[in-house]
Amino acid sequence: MKHVNVAGWLFVLLVTLLVETGVRAFDYEQKIATPSSTLRALYDALADGTLSGEIGFTLHAYLEGLALAILVGVTVGLLIGSSRTLLDASSVVIEFLRPIPAVALIPLAILFFGPFGIAAHRFVVVFAAVWPILINTIYGVRGGDRMLQDVARTSGVGRVGRLFHVTLPAALPSIATGIRVSAAIALVVCVTAEFRTGAGGIGDYMKDQQFANKLPKLYAAVVLVSLLGLAVNAGLRAVQRRTLFWAGEERSAQ
Amino acid sequence: MKTSAARRLVGPALGVLVFVAVTGIWQLWAGAEDSFLVPTASEVAKRAWDVWPTSDFLSEVGQSMKRYAAGFAIAAAIGIALGLLVGASHAARRTLDPFLECLRAVPAIAIVPAAILILGLGDASRIAVIAFGLCFPILVNTAEGVRGIPLEVRDTASMLHVGRVERASRIYLPAALPSIMAGLRIAVSLGLVLVIVSEFVGEQNGIGYYLIIQQSKFDYPALYAGILFLGLLGYLLNRLFLLVERRVLAWHYRAAGE
Repeated sequence: MKHVNVAGWLFVLLVTLLVETGVRAFDYEQKIATPSSTLRALYDALADGTLSGEIGFTLHAYLEGLALAILVGVTVGLLIGSSRTLLDASSVVIEFLRPIPAVALIPLAILFFGPFGIAAHRFVVVFAAVWPILINTIYGVRGGDRMLQDVARTSGVGRVGRLFHVTLPAALPSIATGIRVSAAIALVVCVTAEFRTGAGGIGDYMKDQQFANKLPKLYAAVVLVSLLGLAVNAGLRAVQRRTLFWAGEERSAQ
Repeated sequence: MKTSAARRLVGPALGVLVFVAVTGIWQLWAGAEDSFLVPTASEVAKRAWDVWPTSDFLSEVGQSMKRYAAGFAIAAAIGIALGLLVGASHAARRTLDPFLECLRAVPAIAIVPAAILILGLGDASRIAVIAFGLCFPILVNTAEGVRGIPLEVRDTASMLHVGRVERASRIYLPAALPSIMAGLRIAVSLGLVLVIVSEFVGEQNGIGYYLIIQQSKFDYPALYAGILFLGLLGYLLNRLFLLVERRVLAWHYRAAGE
């Protein structure tokens, strides 16, 4: 077991206390919510269920979008990565689409799918999340050992067999890194989309609190969504360490 | 030799061909569909041609780019400085790590309302959001670069009593530069996202605002043209950065034997 980083958490506590006293001392509560009022608001909103409903909504759209992006990114990445011709053929289209910031598609998606549905923001989440996964899958496949492929081929393993038993395992560490990058991006995009679509979710909740000028509630939502991000990242890291222990941690190909 | 040369020609040609084919299919499909939701490719191109050079559009772009540049510069300064500190000093890393991890988890959009309340609706709040979001990839990559410096180098420096400031600027900074550039490259693309995100709330001006306005006007071709512009801008910024990176890291590539 790693022991707890006492100095680090003391520093967090110290900053929190500084903000608390600073905001109170300079009477800044109209502009910044104090940590104590934020925590109280967070507790209240979780206890009466308003915030847990919103975070559930966000989580649902987020995970579904991410899952779809993984499915599409890995499948297409495996296909493109294992064929030089397909890679060449798709390169310009990918280079054209990839630099488009996903958040720029939010207004379009709202018009396209209608404002208060889950479809608009799922589309944007998938678009945002698919690129790191796709690119990392392609890199992973292309970076694979040619020798292994040849050995498998001469041993009479068919195309499909090679795909699942040679190509995919070799690309897995790179794919995992792509998924982790995507998971972080997708959450940001998901919340941003909710901010605009007004379909519900934690982003929508934040916008409502902003308009109502309920600062502690707004800050509570920020804390909650950040905790969600931390949890997702820690969870994925743990899964990656457990299942891909043989590969070590790889850096993104992006 | 000959086949690889041919490949180098045929490959990109094939890519362009597929791109043209996809655009053609879009054109035909949108034409047949005849729905205002999907303008044809030619309609979008024509609209882009009309909209992009107008002073209205360019002034929105100018607003956004100004914020982008300011946010990027601030993030680079803070990210590199903190990264050097966290990378070089074990104590600093232990102390700051949980704090930075917590901050890093905050999605940029989530701090926009708070930033607007504190800094007002003008440039300052947008720039703060952009700088906040861009700071972390730069910081993390800088710290990693410094930590990757071989121990012999660090020990030699401390043995020769090279001062802290000099050690940071003359040894750590150049040695970590490839890694720092990697962080800056992430920030180049991410910056565009953050500009748009920061302009989505408390609409005033900028490209993000432009998109919102087109949405409310149901002006599909203009919306597509705006998105297209952003894609192009992102691509060009990336290319530009790669050029700069090649220059800045020329010594590194030479040393690596590339």
